Amino acid sequence: MKGIHLGEFEELVLLAVASMKTDAYAVSIKNEIEEKVDRKSNISAIHTALYRLEDKGFLDSYLGEATAKRGGKGKRLFKVTAYGYQALKEAQDKRKVFWELIPQLSIQGI
Amino acid sequence: MIHHPPKVMRYLLKSIISEELFDDIDGDLMEVFQDRTETLSLAKARALYAKDVLFSVRNIGLRRKLKYFNPLVMYKNYLKISFRNLLNHKVYSLINIAGLALGMAACLLIILFVQNEKNFDGFHEKKEVIYRLDEVQTFGDISQKVALSMFPMGPSMLNDFPEVVNFTRFWSRNKLLLERGDKRYYLDQTVRVDTSFFDIFDFKIIRGNPEEFFSDGFNLVLTESVAQRVFGDEDPIGEVMKFSDEEQFIVAAVIEDIPDESHLQFEALIPMTLWDSEGRQNNWGSNFVNTYLQLVPNTDVEALEAKFDDFLVKYTDEGILEAYELFLQPLSDVHLGSMDITHDYQNYKKFSESSVKIFLLLAFFVLLIASVNFMNLSTAAVANRSKEVGVRKSIGAYKGQISAQFIVQSFLLTFLALAVAIVICLVSVESLNQMIDRELSFSYFLTPTWLAIIFGTTLLIALLSGFYPALVMSNFNVISALKGESLKNRNSGFRNILVVLQYAIAIAVIIGTSVVVRQLNYMQTMDLGFNRDRVISLPMYFDTNQQYDLLKSELESQSNVLSVTATTQRLGNNLHQAGMKYRADTALIEGVSSFVQVDLNFIDVYDIQILEGRSLSEEYELDKQGNSFMVNQALAKMISQDAEEVIGTKFHFGGADTLGTIVGILEDFKYNKLTNSVEPLFINTQPNNNWSEVNVKIRGGDITSAIEEVESVWQNLFPRRPFEYKFLDEHFEELYKSEQQLVKVISILAALAIIIASLGLFGLSSFMVRQRMKEMGIRKVLGASVIQVLVILSKQISLLVLIAFVISAPLTYYLLQDWLDGYAFSVSLGVGIFILVGGLSWLSALLTVSGHSLKVALLNPVKVLKTE
Repeated sequence: MKGIHLGEFEELVLLAVASMKTDAYAVSIKNEIEEKVDRKSNISAIHTALYRLEDKGFLDSYLGEATAKRGGKGKRLFKVTAYGYQALKEAQDKRKVFWELIPQLSIQGI
Repeated sequence: MIHHPPKVMRYLLKSIISEELFDDIDGDLMEVFQDRTETLSLAKARALYAKDVLFSVRNIGLRRKLKYFNPLVMYKNYLKISFRNLLNHKVYSLINIAGLALGMAACLLIILFVQNEKNFDGFHEKKEVIYRLDEVQTFGDISQKVALSMFPMGPSMLNDFPEVVNFTRFWSRNKLLLERGDKRYYLDQTVRVDTSFFDIFDFKIIRGNPEEFFSDGFNLVLTESVAQRVFGDEDPIGEVMKFSDEEQFIVAAVIEDIPDESHLQFEALIPMTLWDSEGRQNNWGSNFVNTYLQLVPNTDVEALEAKFDDFLVKYTDEGILEAYELFLQPLSDVHLGSMDITHDYQNYKKFSESSVKIFLLLAFFVLLIASVNFMNLSTAAVANRSKEVGVRKSIGAYKGQISAQFIVQSFLLTFLALAVAIVICLVSVESLNQMIDRELSFSYFLTPTWLAIIFGTTLLIALLSGFYPALVMSNFNVISALKGESLKNRNSGFRNILVVLQYAIAIAVIIGTSVVVRQLNYMQTMDLGFNRDRVISLPMYFDTNQQYDLLKSELESQSNVLSVTATTQRLGNNLHQAGMKYRADTALIEGVSSFVQVDLNFIDVYDIQILEGRSLSEEYELDKQGNSFMVNQALAKMISQDAEEVIGTKFHFGGADTLGTIVGILEDFKYNKLTNSVEPLFINTQPNNNWSEVNVKIRGGDITSAIEEVESVWQNLFPRRPFEYKFLDEHFEELYKSEQQLVKVISILAALAIIIASLGLFGLSSFMVRQRMKEMGIRKVLGASVIQVLVILSKQISLLVLIAFVISAPLTYYLLQDWLDGYAFSVSLGVGIFILVGGLSWLSALLTVSGHSLKVALLNPVKVLKTE
């Protein structure tokens, strides 16, 4: 797993996609992040993250239905790949290592 | 309710985001915008949309890697489709590839030739600092550049000028008879050179030592093939060879055969030391050697030349500057830059630089025509593939992919053409070599630079010819493409310009070629004022001259020999000039004129017309002593306007003590190459036989037995001298060899230009006609006759050819007039040839188009119209 690096925002986007069962596309992901973690972001930032994640192989995409609201263009729907889940898990595990150390340190300090 | 975001911003977004991502991102932005219009004011939403677009600038480099996108598969498909296209339109493909290949082949061969010419003498390591010393001689009104210099000039320059590092003289002894044991060989060219010869020039020594060669006067250097001829496989070093009983030489070294691209050619060298007498060392006046100087690198040649006047005055007197000026010619200029230099006998295969430039220009034009054709046909051909493009686009091909497809096809065609061109070159290089008398080898191109240039140019042609179709097709609207609408109206203007360009070049090339050919024929068949038919010339030597009278009478007694005469210089060569004096009124006037000394019957044998007075004759003692002169009209006019006054004028030439007399005036017969006008000339005889050649006029009919008779007389009298002869008209043909080679090459190029242009037009017309099939069908239904249809279809091409003619004719006229002005005797440049060539090109264009037109004209209109 060397060389694979998840940026903070990328991890957030990846988590958001993972949490959404269906209909995960740029606009809905943006709304989800705003709602769940109260973080405002520009749609273009979401695009950057999504396509990079897809490029890295963490996300898979397919074309969804088109709506009039979208000017007749289809949605690009994303879902997390197995590799993507693995990357998320790994990121969590790395953090865990440090979390497990923190309580001991604080006890000693008291 | 659907609202619209600002158009400009959306357009901006389109230009920012890559093609494959645009649909996704555009949709997302649009959705966000629509959501906002529900809660915010329209203006606010639009402003926020603009903000989103501007933020999207960060995604400018974002690409979507297609997971299953393997470009290799598509390129394979492009190649496959290209090949299928080639096979589907066999004639078109053949024309297209053949045209381009011919153009490329011509261009490659010409470049090969030009490079060979430019690399002449390039094998000498010191070529940058070697110069030939030449003279400008001015005698009266005549001024000429001369390749010869005086014997003491080289050594004196080495002495006087620190810029001169070394010198060598090159003084031919021409043909020498050489004996070894009881066998005799002619050495074609034996040359006397100075000790520094091998220091300056790089002729490779195979055996022996050049130092030794110069150590003792009686040494000899042979070329490999001569050594092989004389000694076979024996070691020639140290062997003795005899030129005569007095002259015996020891072979000191053997050098490699002289390369074909050397302007100096020889079979044997002998040291100059044997001829370095005190008399010659002080002989400031006669010019008979070639002098080569090696200068200090980066010498200011002009500054050095400026000192030459003082140099001449120092060794002679002030008066010399009126007749002589010295200049230096770089070694690299000797081969190509000596066309205006006369008495240039040591200049093998000399060629004119302007011809080389003409070749290059023509080669460029032929390649241009071929490339233009190629482009033209390619654009025309893709017009019929709009449906394919439509289908490709509708199932999701990007613009770039469509472009790539056409570029790939264009690459395929050009590189096929290159392959064919290389094959053509390899096959034809041998026959070209024979035609132009060179030793070109295609392996010359096997250097990285040349390969890069060739491939680079091919790549450029491929890109240029693929670019236009790629651009047009990728921008083609899908709907109209699928409908099969043709591109006719959009690019026929461009194609027409290309056709006009082609025909303009072709017309210019043909007119040029025919005028050059006419000029050459004119010079070769022109009445020169003397009869050179059936004259053979035999070279004379010191020993044969002693028996000249016997030789003459023996020859004249042969049944097939008409008459025999002798001369000191051959007609057609630039005759030497000499000072002379004549008495006008009471004063003795000095002047300079060309001259030739001949046997008394020379004028009768050559049938030169006498205008006034009488010919030289055996009957007069003064004639036989060389004291009677005949002058040509040009000299007669110089002496007096009144012809009768000229006869009897006292005339003096050479060392004779007594004044001679002018006894006759000759017509201005053309004794020089026709580039020169006829200059003053006088003729007399010499009392001692010292001829350079004997001219034998033979009876018509059986030429072979005549030559056999002459040979047997020669062999009887001079058993030691192998018999040699040359026809005088052959000699005159050789004078124009460089022009003839020029004509041959130009004719081939002209033919190629026409063939390629016609091929192109043929291919193009099939497309042009096809696009007008329906129109013609309707015309026929409405009652047009076959002829009328043909006329309509020919109108366009006729107009194009006319425009081409109007553009190229005046330009060609101007250039040709300029070229013809270089000849003292030239054909006139009539309008006839222009009209003829213009008419012929028009006809050929019509014929080319008519094949297709006729097909359409004869077609049953129902067939064309029923598909509508």
